[in-house]
Amino acid sequence: DEILRSLAGPPSPPGQDPHGWRVPVDCVRANELCAAEPSCSSRYRTLRQCLAGRDRNTMLANKECQAALEVLQESPLYDCRCKRGMKKELQCLQIYWSIHLGLTEGEEFYEASPYEPVTSRLSDIFRLASIFSGMDPATNSKSNHCLDAAKACNLNDNCKRLRSGYISTCSKVSATEHCSRRKCHKALRQFFDRVPSEYTYRLLFCSCKDQACAERRRQTIVPSCSYEDKEKPNCLDLRNTCRTDHLCRSRLADFHTNCQASFQSLTSCPGDNYQACLGSYAGLIGFDMTPNYVDASTTSITISPWCSCKGSGNMEEECEKFLRDFTENPCLRNAIQAFGNGTDVNLSPKNPSPAVTLPPKMEKSPALPDDINDSNTMYDTSVITTCTSVQEHGPKLNKSKEQSLCYSETQLTTDIMPDQKTFVDQKAGGSRHWAGRILPVVPILLLKLAL
Amino acid sequence: SRRKRARARHKPCALKELEVSVSELGLGYESDETVLFRYCSGTCEAAIRSYDLSLKSMRSRRKIKKEKVRARPCCRPLAYDDDVSFLDAYNRYYTVNELSAKECGCV
Repeated sequence: DEILRSLAGPPSPPGQDPHGWRVPVDCVRANELCAAEPSCSSRYRTLRQCLAGRDRNTMLANKECQAALEVLQESPLYDCRCKRGMKKELQCLQIYWSIHLGLTEGEEFYEASPYEPVTSRLSDIFRLASIFSGMDPATNSKSNHCLDAAKACNLNDNCKRLRSGYISTCSKVSATEHCSRRKCHKALRQFFDRVPSEYTYRLLFCSCKDQACAERRRQTIVPSCSYEDKEKPNCLDLRNTCRTDHLCRSRLADFHTNCQASFQSLTSCPGDNYQACLGSYAGLIGFDMTPNYVDASTTSITISPWCSCKGSGNMEEECEKFLRDFTENPCLRNAIQAFGNGTDVNLSPKNPSPAVTLPPKMEKSPALPDDINDSNTMYDTSVITTCTSVQEHGPKLNKSKEQSLCYSETQLTTDIMPDQKTFVDQKAGGSRHWAGRILPVVPILLLKLAL
Repeated sequence: SRRKRARARHKPCALKELEVSVSELGLGYESDETVLFRYCSGTCEAAIRSYDLSLKSMRSRRKIKKEKVRARPCCRPLAYDDDVSFLDAYNRYYTVNELSAKECGCV
């Protein structure tokens, strides 16, 4: 069953994880492995001394430091990654950056994420589907999804406790002072780290038809304490502040890795993975780079950290580029909208398609209750079929297209490998994407079977 | 048969729960947010002690006349649930403590 699940999972985007099937060791473990080996541990000690207190250039000028770095590139420390919310996460990230800070070409615009790539999309989708199925169908027509999300959280002891935890911390105002931002951020991080995403995403990314709902959505993170400030710093200054902190730096790098707008995919997201982008976005909350909705608009979603590009000097262009990854990011916007509309959980209708094909173009339906009800029926059928509904928002086109990508588990294990011709090309425009998306799966699947 | 019905209706003291809106709590907050309200309900016949019997006897012998006394144990929360926070209709957050029971007992 586990094999089936992993097989049915979507491909990890090629290029992002060069090994594809290999699970990297976490850096805490890699550190232990290195410590057990005298040559590795002495080089690592040298490198740490090189990095301590000295800037990168002086460090690399030192021959001994450079030699240490070269040797360590062959060690498990070089490949290691961390998991979000893992035990000793900070320690893990410190180990990661101790090697990688020496490797990067100074201050790069985008840094590689120290976190493991998110591959468990399927299980998340199922979890989400089960939550959505719990919704009362009678309230759907006039419902406020953000209010429903708050209800779902309040009815779960863990979610309620940690939500109350950050709300009471973040809305505490004494006579002399504003709230404690530091404590508020910490409580928010605990909430997003310890509460399952089926609750936290619903609160954060609920879809809204009226302003009261959108304002509730904006208020989710208690922005008066966690987000707003007296003044708006320059975004590049804010980025520098963030990069001095290992956790903030890692979360930002993770956001850039998973939410970077890509024009090669249908969804504008790397690997068409909405979950990874939403997870990275939520991972920024509770740090200096905390993002939020800038207003309570129902029609357009605009996200930004609390910063502006005023006073950028000759770095204006870089600053705007940095800010646009939040404010005008089609991947992030599509991911939020797809989650809110329930389109990412849009499992296929009752009759699973006989082969892995691209179904005819479907009209975008604004009514989501039907979609949700459809998805429930999938629990009872023996063949589990996953469809990723994909919204393509061309950068210039107002018109949005929607397509459903479906693949069933049994098909993936049997049909795909012997006969790749089942990929029927029904839309000329879509074939390019399909070839790019599906073909890389095959070697990965074979490797998985070999294991 | 009346006794049988009565016994069926009165279960021993235990925790029960209701889903209610914050407005329905009657605490003066205006919010459509739903919270779980847990309360204690049931009888405490099994928990009657010599104290209760003696107190009843004192009262019937008119040794205790004017004071307000309670000669039977009462089903009440022994501990309260964690704080509950919610956003009200005017987009302000509030936190209420000791709103909901966590554990019940005959005291």
